Amino acid sequence: MQQLVEKVKEIIKNKEVDVVIGWGKGSLPFSATPIFVETEEDAEKLIFDETCRNNLTTYLTKDKRRISKEYNKIGIVVKGCDSRSVVLYAVENQIKRENVVLIGVPCNGVFEKKKISQLVDGKEVLEFKIDGDKIVFKGRNFEQTHSLKEILCDSCLACQHPDAPEHDYFIGTPRKEVNVPDAYKSVEDFGQKSAEERWAYIQEEYSKCIRCYACRNVCPSCYCPECFVDQNDPQWIGKTPEVTDSIIFHLIRNLHVAGRCVDCGACVSACPVDLDLRIMSKKVEKEIKDRFDYMAGTDINEKPAMASYCENEKQDFIMG
Amino acid sequence: MIKIKKTGLNEFIEYLMNDYDVYGSADVGKKTAFKKIDSASEIRHDITNTHLSPKDVFFPQSEVLFQYSDDGLKVPKKNEKPIAVWGMRNCDTSSLMMLNKVFGDAHQMSEKDMYKDPYWKMKYDNCLIFNQACNEPLSTCFCNWFEGNPFAKKGADVFVVDTGDYFILEGISDKGKAFLTKYKTGEDTTKADLNKIAELKKTAESFMPDVVDIKPLFNKMNKIWDEPIWEEISAKCINCGACTFVCPTCHCFDVSDEGKGKKGKRIRLWDSCMFQIFTREASGHNPRGLSTQRVRQRIMHKYNYFMDNYEQHLCTGCGRCVQVCPVNLDIREVIKQVLDYKLVKNEDN
Repeated sequence: MQQLVEKVKEIIKNKEVDVVIGWGKGSLPFSATPIFVETEEDAEKLIFDETCRNNLTTYLTKDKRRISKEYNKIGIVVKGCDSRSVVLYAVENQIKRENVVLIGVPCNGVFEKKKISQLVDGKEVLEFKIDGDKIVFKGRNFEQTHSLKEILCDSCLACQHPDAPEHDYFIGTPRKEVNVPDAYKSVEDFGQKSAEERWAYIQEEYSKCIRCYACRNVCPSCYCPECFVDQNDPQWIGKTPEVTDSIIFHLIRNLHVAGRCVDCGACVSACPVDLDLRIMSKKVEKEIKDRFDYMAGTDINEKPAMASYCENEKQDFIMG
Repeated sequence: MIKIKKTGLNEFIEYLMNDYDVYGSADVGKKTAFKKIDSASEIRHDITNTHLSPKDVFFPQSEVLFQYSDDGLKVPKKNEKPIAVWGMRNCDTSSLMMLNKVFGDAHQMSEKDMYKDPYWKMKYDNCLIFNQACNEPLSTCFCNWFEGNPFAKKGADVFVVDTGDYFILEGISDKGKAFLTKYKTGEDTTKADLNKIAELKKTAESFMPDVVDIKPLFNKMNKIWDEPIWEEISAKCINCGACTFVCPTCHCFDVSDEGKGKKGKRIRLWDSCMFQIFTREASGHNPRGLSTQRVRQRIMHKYNYFMDNYEQHLCTGCGRCVQVCPVNLDIREVIKQVLDYKLVKNEDN
């Protein structure tokens, strides 16, 4: 990724940006870590590979921006999903597009640690080597080879915009949109089940939630200055990890990011108890697509589905 | 010291279940945690550090303090059987000893009437801890920074080593020894077993990271509170509570009332200093409104404030926070960063 490093050095040198948010090497084999690059020297630390899982745009919105320094112009390294989040912020007036410099990187999907853990039956992988479309995991007493596809995030497998549709610079050559015929297979398969089975699954799944709110906090679309779960006058939901309260939390969060979720998979990767968070968010995405022909973050000139009205919209969900 | 053939272990655990509510490392959902078992076969013996810590056995994520209704007030009673935990590692055993300083009997001053938490005591006092040696510590383990060791026995009632075909059980505390004496079925250990343990210990130690000398950490922390280092450390933190909830030593809690009309309950539940609501005052003012302040609080509590109060660091090097952090904010690196930091505002000496 020398090209990325050179490009970032160049825009820092030209004072095009005050900082570039990108990924650096992490401390664990499958985790890159967010870094904030202010100097040409620091740009050397930038990497981009399949371990760059985080959607860094979560650091951009004002209320969520945790960097206490004030930057006028921020550069950010973006995959396809991340660039869609920037579009979302722009159409929702959270940022001015011209204040952000997007450096697109060619994305072939990122690793899902949980899938790796399942494949090696919970054993600890200490290093890995990619060989074509195969990956070799090495631990203390084992070596296992798998195909790369097996360990990519579900979001990546369903991704139709892998190469930053919105960007100012692009490292390498962007591909066109990718056609994924079965992008909603998980939703359709789940829809085949009976209502009782679906409810049982949701209950079982969310009963494990520990309410750490990692899903909410990594989510670029979740940027309310005060989340409803943190309000206590009135208090909307109970604070314990009791299953009904946890379901309410996740349902409301899902509806709140309806038409705004870019399916970056950040919530899935962040969950410390591996909840199947995508089973609902993808369903909501499909509903929005079917009803309003809208995909969040794909068109910077289009008004958000939930913030606009067309007379010819399907209204059967209101009229019954 | 006795040894039990692996094939006979379930029998031992079932014997234990006669006198105790037994918790063991097991699959819980898609992760591993300590749970109350109904049958010995539920325990998984191949887990080193469970994903979730065993603190919730004694300090549950949510715990009813009392319930009220027209019939009066109901306070939870002590369970008939005491708790036994099988398969705990020494990082976790140590963490319970720390929590026992906060909630229990371990840190009492004779001149003061110190608070003792009845809910903690009814579970922790009289518990029996089977502390298993870590034959294969994980790459995220760093207990050796805190005077820990994969084969440490401190705080254990019974020390357990998996030697392949056998589990070797050594009574450490009086109650641990008494239990093993009561269980007459074990075989005697031989010199070969002791050699095997020594060998396993040596191998386990070879997997541990180089020790970082953390002695200067406390003093450094004393001078660092208003230094710019915290901006650097906290920049990438997204303020979720994952680290605090998987941590075996984090113990901050909130109290919440749930009720309607004349019926309800008061609940104590885990809270996290990472949440902005944690310190938000009724006026709306938040003394720790910034992420930087909250991250500083967590690190200072672990490596400075707790030391001030209880003469040890509030961290056992279990590495769970390292594993779960969504942005790979690695506490081992934070410690090194603090130790290496050149003070800007305050004088170093």
